[in-house]
Amino acid sequence: MTVFKNLAAKGRSRVDYLLLGAMIGLVVLGAVCIMSAVNSLSLSNPIVRTHLLALPIGVCAFVAGWSFNYQIYDEQWKYLYGFILALLIGVLVFGSYQRGSRSWFVLPFFSMQPSEICRVCTLLVAAACLDRRGRRIRETSSLILLGLLLAPIFGLIMMQPDFSSVVVTFPAILVLLYCTGINVFYLALIGIFAGVAGFFTIAWTYIYLHPELLDYTAVRLFNDLAHNGWYMGVFALAVALLGYGTWWFFKQLRIFMPSMYFLLATGVVLAGLFGGIFVEHQMKPHQRKRVETFLAPKSDPRGAGYNVLQAQIAMGAGGIWGKGLFSGTQSRLGFVPEKHTDFILAVVGEELGWWGTCLVLGLYLIILWRIMIIGYMSSDRYGYLVCAGIFGMFFTYMLVNFGMLVGIVPVAGIPLPFISYGGSNLVASFWALGVIQSVYAQRLRI
Amino acid sequence: MGQCANPNNMQVSRILFNSRLKGLFVIAAIVAGVIALRLADIQVIRHKDYQQMAESNRTQVLYQTAPRGRVFTSDGIEVASNSPSFSFYYLGVGNKEPEYLKKLAADVAPYMNMATEDVFQKLQKGVQTGKAIAIADNLSTQSTVALKELQFYYPGVYLVEETKRNYPHGIFASHLIGYIGQMDEREWRRRDTNMGYRLSSKIGKNGIEKKFEKELKGRDGGIYLEVDYRGRVRSLIQDKKWGAGSDVYLTLNYKVQQAAEEGLKNSKTGRGAAVALDPRNGAVLALASAPAYDPNIFVAYSDDKKAQAQKKKIKEYNLAIQGTYPPASTFKIITGAAALEEGNIDVNRKINCTGKYDAGSRIFKCWGTHGPVDFFDGMSNSCDVYFYAVASQIGPAPIERVERKFMFGRQTGIDLPGEKAGNLYGPTRRARNKTYWFIGDTLNLSIGQGELLVTPIKLAQFAAAVASRGNVYRPYYIDKIVSNQTGKTEEIGKTEILQHADLKESTYDTLFAALKHTVDDGTARRVKIKGLDVYAKTGTAQNPHGEDHGWLMAFAGKEGEEPSIALAVFVEFGEGGSSAAGPIARDMLEAYFGIEKQKPVVAVPPQTPPATVATVAQVPQSQPAESGGEENL
Repeated sequence: MTVFKNLAAKGRSRVDYLLLGAMIGLVVLGAVCIMSAVNSLSLSNPIVRTHLLALPIGVCAFVAGWSFNYQIYDEQWKYLYGFILALLIGVLVFGSYQRGSRSWFVLPFFSMQPSEICRVCTLLVAAACLDRRGRRIRETSSLILLGLLLAPIFGLIMMQPDFSSVVVTFPAILVLLYCTGINVFYLALIGIFAGVAGFFTIAWTYIYLHPELLDYTAVRLFNDLAHNGWYMGVFALAVALLGYGTWWFFKQLRIFMPSMYFLLATGVVLAGLFGGIFVEHQMKPHQRKRVETFLAPKSDPRGAGYNVLQAQIAMGAGGIWGKGLFSGTQSRLGFVPEKHTDFILAVVGEELGWWGTCLVLGLYLIILWRIMIIGYMSSDRYGYLVCAGIFGMFFTYMLVNFGMLVGIVPVAGIPLPFISYGGSNLVASFWALGVIQSVYAQRLRI
Repeated sequence: MGQCANPNNMQVSRILFNSRLKGLFVIAAIVAGVIALRLADIQVIRHKDYQQMAESNRTQVLYQTAPRGRVFTSDGIEVASNSPSFSFYYLGVGNKEPEYLKKLAADVAPYMNMATEDVFQKLQKGVQTGKAIAIADNLSTQSTVALKELQFYYPGVYLVEETKRNYPHGIFASHLIGYIGQMDEREWRRRDTNMGYRLSSKIGKNGIEKKFEKELKGRDGGIYLEVDYRGRVRSLIQDKKWGAGSDVYLTLNYKVQQAAEEGLKNSKTGRGAAVALDPRNGAVLALASAPAYDPNIFVAYSDDKKAQAQKKKIKEYNLAIQGTYPPASTFKIITGAAALEEGNIDVNRKINCTGKYDAGSRIFKCWGTHGPVDFFDGMSNSCDVYFYAVASQIGPAPIERVERKFMFGRQTGIDLPGEKAGNLYGPTRRARNKTYWFIGDTLNLSIGQGELLVTPIKLAQFAAAVASRGNVYRPYYIDKIVSNQTGKTEEIGKTEILQHADLKESTYDTLFAALKHTVDDGTARRVKIKGLDVYAKTGTAQNPHGEDHGWLMAFAGKEGEEPSIALAVFVEFGEGGSSAAGPIARDMLEAYFGIEKQKPVVAVPPQTPPATVATVAQVPQSQPAESGGEENL
């Protein structure tokens, strides 16, 4: 820690050049790869044009995030919170309905996806909320308070619905919570909740995609759990009895543990179950397909796994040094789907090769490293929490996007910030790093 | 990270800045490392596999079958060739304006015998699907010249040249050449994967086509197109020209083979075989078997089932190497040789032929009554009684010994599948089978009847062996293979003496004289040709199931020179050796020596030396004698 403090004391710069350099590197690489992916050098191509127009807006957002003192978000968090809710309600009312979800504002000259900017705002608001709890952060009430605060936001996002946004925001919130020094038991509970919900979702999806399994009575009973109220009741009762039984068992053994733990554990398992049931009822066929792709990526090369396979072929064909910019056949001839957005790494991999993908990975690691360092340099606790939240966000982006391409994470429509095409995401990411730069700039002011 | 368990005792800074974010960064670094390793696995270790997959993703190939190597006879006649077959493709690239397509359609339609509207519709379909489509197949050669030029004016259209196997002379030597057809499952599994076979490739199914498949095939070409994920053509990557297969040169003499096939076709039954060898080296000059088939029928059928149905109809049975029959009177040469060699008989001693021979227990008949005959008359008239008497005198053992010297009962060793060995007949063989040998067997053996069986090619080999004074050659029919790509010549045919029948020179002299006498004044007068020294022997194999089979074996050379052709002609159910096989043999000899048919009587060929003029007078004498048509056993 002292090393970081010394480093901070030595430099008086208001800009972290490493972070800035890594960001610029990614942006330049991204712009070139988008041009290559859409196979057009002409600036009149709508995708290239939009991206080049989004860049200056993003730079403005970066400068804005950097020049404003980040403590404003801490002080004015209520307005920020209202802004998030207004945007999310607004998109549900005025947004346009595309591809099964209502998550876009379509304006005359451009479209924007409010959930991107809301994600960063949510992290700032959550950090503010947790900062205010101060030393009481380890109390259960802090967690419940945060839950109540964020529930409307997640609820509104699920109403669009935009699962992909949740996929990034939720882990970021978890990282934030972890870094505030919250009792690990609560995190474990959240983990159990997510695990139970995820287990039920994946299991039901698997059964849905393999109807022949319903021949087994156990499988059929399990499947009916999602739809039959009586089964749900019986299951809930069983879980509650199990929780009580365990508590009683420990009590008999004279090992004293707070009864609160068992109550919470039972509640979380049940919440996971109902969360799973909710997701099961909300899930769309293409989302089921994604789970299927994760479960068995090679089973159907023409179906859902086809996309990942083609992306891997593209990357593999690139080799160590790549085929050179603008000469990847897999992306240029359309074999790689979503080549300029979620699968842009396949283009990088095919045209620049292994060193290209490793360069992107390395730049991301530099960004994560600088965010961490700046977090420890921060002049107050809020700065540290902001850095933790944004660290969580970028970490999730990196993990999911890279992981999806190399086949260790299911396919989720998650872009790679600064590289992928997508104005809203680009602007939000610029702003997020701007805020980090602001934390850096304010480090000396204690 | 459990150090925060009791926060009250911690410093404020430890609560505010715990080390949890550091821990997370370590996790992030580990995750990045794992991802980098996975990327290395995909991009570096399995690079080759993925590269191949990407390559096959993007390329579509319009294959062009290479012309198979041609097959030539020794006199340079092409007996298996290729005819070009043109297809006109639209690749769906370049200008796609309807106006342009209309103009294109109007320009090309006349050369394809299609309505402009039809062509236009096909072009439009190509534009809509974006895929390469064939506008017309099987275009005539004349129209392709114009289309070839048009493809330069209109980028996006392409003239694809393929070749089809063609056998210009139809049934010519079809048993030797074989035919091609589509691969069946077994052949596909066993194919040489380096040869670039495709499922639609045709391979040699029989004969030379099968045997030299590797040499004949050549390297297929193709138009490599770059296509996108929906199969729409984006660009032309490469137009790879095919490389033609190597040419095979046969030892066959086109005219002799032609004469043999014509003769067999026009013979009494149309069934038989004729084989001609060069007695100086064993090269096959003609190998004809009737009935034959036209290999062209297999080219037309791309469908395997139809080809199978056709295959059932045709006669693949190669009588020349697979048919075994008694050699009949031609075998009297062996009996005579045995008598000369071991019996010390006096060739001038006359034996009176009364038409029958009393073997004690049984009377053996002759086919005629010849009166007193010596060795030469016995041979020329094919007198059975003479040879009965000689055989009784020398016994069967010397006959079998000479038989073995000429390798009867063994395959000739010609490089063709399914050759029959025939059957050796004699007391030793009989002893091995543990049965008895009777005097009647000796008599039957002496005139080539009984259990003795030979194939036509065996008899031709025997004729060549006699003509070359004892050299039993392995017949060969491939001379050389010339590569069209490297220009290299590979000599395949080589002379191989299987065995030397070491009879005394005097024996051969006597046999030559007797066989010449047979031609000049005997049963083989039909093959007497002016300007040539022809030696021949006829035979009629008794057939208990129907008409007798006719044989004729002969060898000949220009007058005063050593024999340069030896042949055996067999006509199944042809009744008489001379009447059925004689004309065929005569045609073959005339074809070989370039003597024009029917003309030797009138015109003296300029190359004939004046010394032969004296013999001209004899020819008219022998001609009417031919019409006699004796039945000779």
